[in-house]
Amino acid sequence: MKGTHLGELEELVLLHVGILFPNAYGVAVMDEIKRQAGRSLNISAVHSVLTRLEDKGLVKSRMSDPTEERGGRRKRLFLLTASGKRTLEDANELRTQLFNQIPKVALQFRLA
Amino acid sequence: MRPRPPIWADRFLEWYCRTDRLEEIQGDAHELFMRTVQQHPLKARWLFIWDVFRFFRIKNIRAIRSFQSTNTVSMLNNYLLVGFRNAMRNGLTSFINIGGLSLGVAGAITIFIFADQWFHVDDFHVKKDRIYEITNIVTREGSEIMMSDTPILLGPMILQDAAGVERMTRIEVGSGALRYGDRVFQERLWYVDPAFLEIFTFGHVGAPPDALARPGSIVITRPIAEKYFGEYDPVGKTVSIKFAGNMISEFTVMAVVDLPDNNSLHFSVLLPMESFVNLRLPDSETWKYLTDATFVLMRPGQNIEALKPLMARYKKLQNESMPDWPVERFQFHDLPSLAASSAHIESHMIGSGETQGIYTMSVIAFLLLLLACFNYTNISVATVSTRIKEIGIRKVVGGRKSEIVYQFIAENLLLATVSVVTGLAIAYTVFMPGIASLVGYPIPFGFSSGRMMLTFFSLLLVFIVVVSGVYPAMYVSGFQPAQILKGKEKFGQRSRFSRILLTGQFVLAFMSIVGCFVFIENTVYMRNRDWGYDHARNIVVPVYSTEQYLKLRDKVTASQQTELLAGSVDHIGSFANRNVLEHADKKFEMIEFRIGMNYLETMNLRLTSGRTFDPALASDTMSSVVVTQKFADAMGWSDPLNQFFQYEGRQRMVIGVVADFHHDNFYMGIRPTLFRLVPEKDFRYLSIKVHNNKALVFESEIRDRWKEIGPDDPYRGMLQDEVFASFQRTTRSDMGIIVSVAVVTLILACLGLYGLVAYNITRRLKEFSVRKVFGANVVQIFRLMNRDYIWILGIAFILGAPAGFFMMRLLITTIYPDPQRAGVLPFAIAIGMMALTVALTVGVQMNRVIRENPAQTLRSE
Repeated sequence: MKGTHLGELEELVLLHVGILFPNAYGVAVMDEIKRQAGRSLNISAVHSVLTRLEDKGLVKSRMSDPTEERGGRRKRLFLLTASGKRTLEDANELRTQLFNQIPKVALQFRLA
Repeated sequence: MRPRPPIWADRFLEWYCRTDRLEEIQGDAHELFMRTVQQHPLKARWLFIWDVFRFFRIKNIRAIRSFQSTNTVSMLNNYLLVGFRNAMRNGLTSFINIGGLSLGVAGAITIFIFADQWFHVDDFHVKKDRIYEITNIVTREGSEIMMSDTPILLGPMILQDAAGVERMTRIEVGSGALRYGDRVFQERLWYVDPAFLEIFTFGHVGAPPDALARPGSIVITRPIAEKYFGEYDPVGKTVSIKFAGNMISEFTVMAVVDLPDNNSLHFSVLLPMESFVNLRLPDSETWKYLTDATFVLMRPGQNIEALKPLMARYKKLQNESMPDWPVERFQFHDLPSLAASSAHIESHMIGSGETQGIYTMSVIAFLLLLLACFNYTNISVATVSTRIKEIGIRKVVGGRKSEIVYQFIAENLLLATVSVVTGLAIAYTVFMPGIASLVGYPIPFGFSSGRMMLTFFSLLLVFIVVVSGVYPAMYVSGFQPAQILKGKEKFGQRSRFSRILLTGQFVLAFMSIVGCFVFIENTVYMRNRDWGYDHARNIVVPVYSTEQYLKLRDKVTASQQTELLAGSVDHIGSFANRNVLEHADKKFEMIEFRIGMNYLETMNLRLTSGRTFDPALASDTMSSVVVTQKFADAMGWSDPLNQFFQYEGRQRMVIGVVADFHHDNFYMGIRPTLFRLVPEKDFRYLSIKVHNNKALVFESEIRDRWKEIGPDDPYRGMLQDEVFASFQRTTRSDMGIIVSVAVVTLILACLGLYGLVAYNITRRLKEFSVRKVFGANVVQIFRLMNRDYIWILGIAFILGAPAGFFMMRLLITTIYPDPQRAGVLPFAIAIGMMALTVALTVGVQMNRVIRENPAQTLRSE
């Protein structure tokens, strides 16, 4: 196990699992990332990230009811776990905290 | 109808994907497909296929996860582990097994590589499948002979008449003195047609393959380039060649050719055919003249057989010009087949030559491998009793007979693989360099093709496993578990089979040792053999012209060292003229030496009756001859003196008889020989007899002063002792090979014996201890222990020694026409050596028994 460190793509996918609650599954996550972040990912990449997140215990999954457009196959729906939520909060907090420490001057750009 | 994604991709996904993930993955893929398929059917299909491949990740593949848990694998693991532990426990016997097998394998690999290269010589020619040699079949003395020599006009004629022939080259061999600056050496020259370098594709530096198209061009090989030019680039330099007729011409080096190791066209200098035509030898532009070889290159897809009708016409043409030596037919040989078949072609220019040696070596390598496998079989059968409980348990818990067999074969396979690896190392580090130094040229460590290598190694493994592993596996798996666990069955004590195998090993060992000593005895005999004349004080110097002869003669005559000297056209051991003599109803092949005055005396030939040539008698220079005893016998004369016969257009009279002598090396038998006088102007050799022991010094003096005599020609003088130098080298290398085979056989047999004895003693240590306690002495124990082995050795000797003796005699008589009468010495030496090694082998073990304190052995348990 690599520990609970969260990669950039993992964080992105984890956020979208939260956003899409309760209908987060492979294709939906892929579409949503495309819509919100403008990044096109291959479906297999999304799957492997989701599997990895599940291995780390940040999401849990259950199977949905069969659907027509999938030839009667079920979807695997992903939900945030408590530890997933906690990790997102930590990451968010760390980011805000760090962002706030940047001196104002450094952010003021002017045409020289 | 619903559109469907490509079925094969879907199937592929179902095949590789883990079952617990298949549904979601397939679902997502299908959903994406359905979404796009209405607008872009083609794009959707491509995307689907792309997705399926992108899902092909280690985590999604089913085989990885499920494989490790199968029963077969863990059983296999268990077999190998148990096998490994067993090998470790019986360290000595395992070492003997692996060591012996490795030796056998190393021998097999070495000989295989050697033979592989032998039969795949000239493999590198790109157009090899389209190259054919044309041979000439003539009948001589009732039997057909295939000759490489073909009419010189044949090649150009074919090229002109047959549309299917793309290129043609002839090879005409001559010699001349090649000179660059102050470096002059005698070289063999190959006159070839310009297409030579296009038909045969050698790597080269310099001008393209048509380098020989222009007159005055010359192509040399790398060794020649280094010999004359050292590190400088020879391309473009001018060299001069002095031909046999003393004509000197200049040539420009067009290219330097690199000959690969597996090349059999052993040329050093290539000249355009035109240079040969310029020499204007008699008949050289008619059908009468035979050149040394003719090769044609067919156009792609053309069949050589189509030339048959043409050849019939050429045959007629040639037979009209040479009616007394008619050609039966011409024959075609494709290049790949020449490697093996060239030995049947008289004076062949290409191919590996005699194959008997290779076949003999292959048989020997096979026997060695067999011997090593027998060792393994023997020792595994003998050591089985230590594992009998294990087998019993396996059977009781449900192991089937076939599973026990598999187990033993798996163990054997492991051992065989280890042996092949160590064998490869031994072959690479010891055997290959050894054999290369014996044959005198490097043998690259490699195979003719990758497929050949794979086939060889898999066959080798299968052979080892089948021969060495199957019997023990069958033997062991046949036991009754109940009997084993009750401790009732006793195994591996006196198996008849293992005794037969051991006998077989020692038969082979005796065979090779006796054979080896028969050969050594013969070699020693040949070294000390009387040549029929005394040669210790003689020097011979070849000369290239009458002028040189006279200069050299004057210099040598003036020297204090010289006792006697003589000139000649032919020289004993170097060059002799063969001829067929017909007299009355007799017809036989004989050797003729054309000599000057005093030659017989200078060469110390032994006169048995009559006299030698007398300078005072004019008749001696005209018609007298001196013959050998064999010549007189062949003529059927009881008193050869003053007999007359017709020879070379003249009536000849015999004035003297000399004892038979070896006019050639010992591969050649002694033929009837005659000597006659010829005038000084033709002399090509000067023979010198010097005063005591000064031959070596005097020879180097002549060498130093050669530049004054023949600056355009190389010095080739030598001691008469050295005329058979190459013969002696070959004999030495043959002996080296035979001795090493005998040594390896002996080592293998002794390893086997040692393993068995060591094992048996360990098993019977208690028994011996009890016997010792009750007062048995060393002699009694020795008898008990070795009764079996002494019988085995005895039988093996009776079977093996005569077999080895006769086989080696057969070999020797086919190589040397008149070998030594064999004595009992080889037998005595073989017995002695075997007794010694066996005594050592057994003695080490005996020592153990004798020193063992019985109390120690009996107390344990």
